[in-house]
Amino acid sequence: LRQVLVVGEIVDAPPLPCGGAGQWVVTPSEGVRRGTRRILEMLESLLALGGLVLLRDSVEWEGRSLLKALIKKSALCGEQVHILGCEVSEEEFREGFDSNINSRLVYHDLFRDPLNWSETGETLPGGPLEALRALCRRTDPGPVTIALDSLSWLLLHLPCTTLCQTLHTLSHQDSCHGDSSPGEQVHVLGLLHEELHGPGPLGVLSSLAQTEVTLSGAMGQASAHILYRRPQQRLTHQTQWFSILPDFSLELQGGPPLEPQPYPDPRVPSMDPTTHLTFNLRLSKKEREAKDSLTLPFQFSSEKQQALLCPGLGQATSHIFYEPDAYDDLDQEDPDDDLDV
Amino acid sequence: MAAAASCSTSTRSTGSMVVAASRNSVTSFQRRGPRASGTDSGCSRLVSIAGTRPSVRNGQLLVSTGLPALDQLLGGGLAVGTVLLIEEDKYNIYSPLLFKYFLAEGIVTGHTLLVASAKEDPADILQELPAPLLDDNCKKECDEDICNHKTESNIKMKIAWRYQLLPKMEAISSSRFGHYYDVSKRIPQELIEASKWHGFFLPEKISSTLNLEPCSLNHGYIKLLQFIQNVIYEEGFDGSNPQKKQKNILRIGIQNLGSPLWGDDICWTENCDSNHSLTKFLYMLRGLLRSSLSACIITVPTHLIQNKAIIARVTNLSDTVVGLESFIGSEKETNPLYKDYHGLIHIRQIPQLNNLIYDVSDVKDLAFKLKRKLFTIEVRENF
Repeated sequence: LRQVLVVGEIVDAPPLPCGGAGQWVVTPSEGVRRGTRRILEMLESLLALGGLVLLRDSVEWEGRSLLKALIKKSALCGEQVHILGCEVSEEEFREGFDSNINSRLVYHDLFRDPLNWSETGETLPGGPLEALRALCRRTDPGPVTIALDSLSWLLLHLPCTTLCQTLHTLSHQDSCHGDSSPGEQVHVLGLLHEELHGPGPLGVLSSLAQTEVTLSGAMGQASAHILYRRPQQRLTHQTQWFSILPDFSLELQGGPPLEPQPYPDPRVPSMDPTTHLTFNLRLSKKEREAKDSLTLPFQFSSEKQQALLCPGLGQATSHIFYEPDAYDDLDQEDPDDDLDV
Repeated sequence: MAAAASCSTSTRSTGSMVVAASRNSVTSFQRRGPRASGTDSGCSRLVSIAGTRPSVRNGQLLVSTGLPALDQLLGGGLAVGTVLLIEEDKYNIYSPLLFKYFLAEGIVTGHTLLVASAKEDPADILQELPAPLLDDNCKKECDEDICNHKTESNIKMKIAWRYQLLPKMEAISSSRFGHYYDVSKRIPQELIEASKWHGFFLPEKISSTLNLEPCSLNHGYIKLLQFIQNVIYEEGFDGSNPQKKQKNILRIGIQNLGSPLWGDDICWTENCDSNHSLTKFLYMLRGLLRSSLSACIITVPTHLIQNKAIIARVTNLSDTVVGLESFIGSEKETNPLYKDYHGLIHIRQIPQLNNLIYDVSDVKDLAFKLKRKLFTIEVRENF
């Protein structure tokens, strides 16, 4: 029975001052224990969601070793493992696995004779599509992992919509078996070479995948950026630095050794830009009280109403004083009277 | 004497006539209503279907989209016979919510549902619909949200005194049109069983081993159109079978149209052979909808479509288009301007139905937020 998923912590690489040792001291046993816990968490978390796990790799950071690490993990957990091998030969793929694991792997070989030219009957009739459909139709109970090495090869040889529909059927097989207990999940691991495809296929496969791992790295250290799409929940993502050992077990790293970078000196005080201003940015308590008690100009309050209705004393004291000068004509008669109209 | 006698008889007769009149209450004004005898029930009564109301602007019959805030933005609701297109957000988290609101509204108002999907079984989609909030519960939810807003806004409004007069965005609607839903709860099973629904799950309808010769329209789309046409014809939504029972609306929901799971290539390459499948499908779908009492919601992953011309054509062929842009994974996630919201909502198109002018709301700067129980659409406050 698969356990409840525990997502690993996000690994933060502490900034190392140049030439110095690490800032905290970790006892070796504690480090190993913490490390093994994290190893389990990363692989477990990749496999926990079920469905399609997309491994995007590139020429610099290859993903086949991570694929093999996941296969080894699934085999050790007792799941059936089917492998559709298209890019490398079977001997090369099985290299590095011990016999215990090799006996559990069911290998479907599409590399040696993809178009069935030799007609020996060993290869699968119908090509890759028929192989995928046969996997869809399998009726053995129990959790199963299907590894596609690689999805890029399948994309280039099959019509895209057919491949998407088949992948969808493959990864959602548990729903048609009626009871979908967590132990009966189907995992589909697909290896995709990013550089071979345009944005269209990459976008479509990302939207189909439940978990998406993008491999990159820095300074000789590989990292995986993992995106989890849980249904009806928010997207979560994390970045893990790791390395794969020759026996295809995973070892997590803290991060690449950083280059010595100029560290900002905390002793220099930063300039406060609000000093030496010609205007006041802060209000004193009295000023704030005055501001709050101010009535705004267009708000019609009762005081304003009173002021308008009752003419105040101030208005009675305003007079107009007029002194005529020489050019003013103070004759009150109508000047138009002279006109003979 | 005779005159007097005749007069008296006439008075008696008029008196009896008056008595008779008061007994029968016969006046020349007849009141048409439930008391009137139902000889011609079809034409004399106004067509009043549950869950619809006529638009105040152009008299078009409207149904609710399930979100009263969205109804207000679309001018009262979605017109019967039109298509609402939702442009999905990048990780497809919020567009299924709008899809489910639409279907849940159909169940609550008693409309017939037709759910089509290539990804999930329609029965599973129906199980995940949000639960409707009863009237007093929903008022409590909205009130506590408004209270939280009011305490903050009182401080800010001192300077911006003019903005106090702006109308708020929350739509206060009557309980018969537009309901509130609780996203954290599932719809009760009895409501689903009491409702009538048809499901179309593409992998069941098309067996993948057939070698189908290519034709102008995708086979999945052809099957879906035939299915919709059958349902409309058999249940009488287009008036073909004289309906003895009450008229009802058919709510159609199609999920992820245009994705490769439907057999369409447009998300894959820019120039593909079946460039016109989706546009032809939309054209025929709109023809079916216009001649029947139905409303349709479609979600399309436009961010995956490679050819921009197809997106423009799809937008033109739909009536109402709403785009969702979520902040997840973009640089806007950390932008302090957007910290209160989960994404932006763009009303890209509103139909001009029997009108010369559009029915556009005044505000264009809209953002949405998914709270624990509600999906809210607000004007983005940036003053």
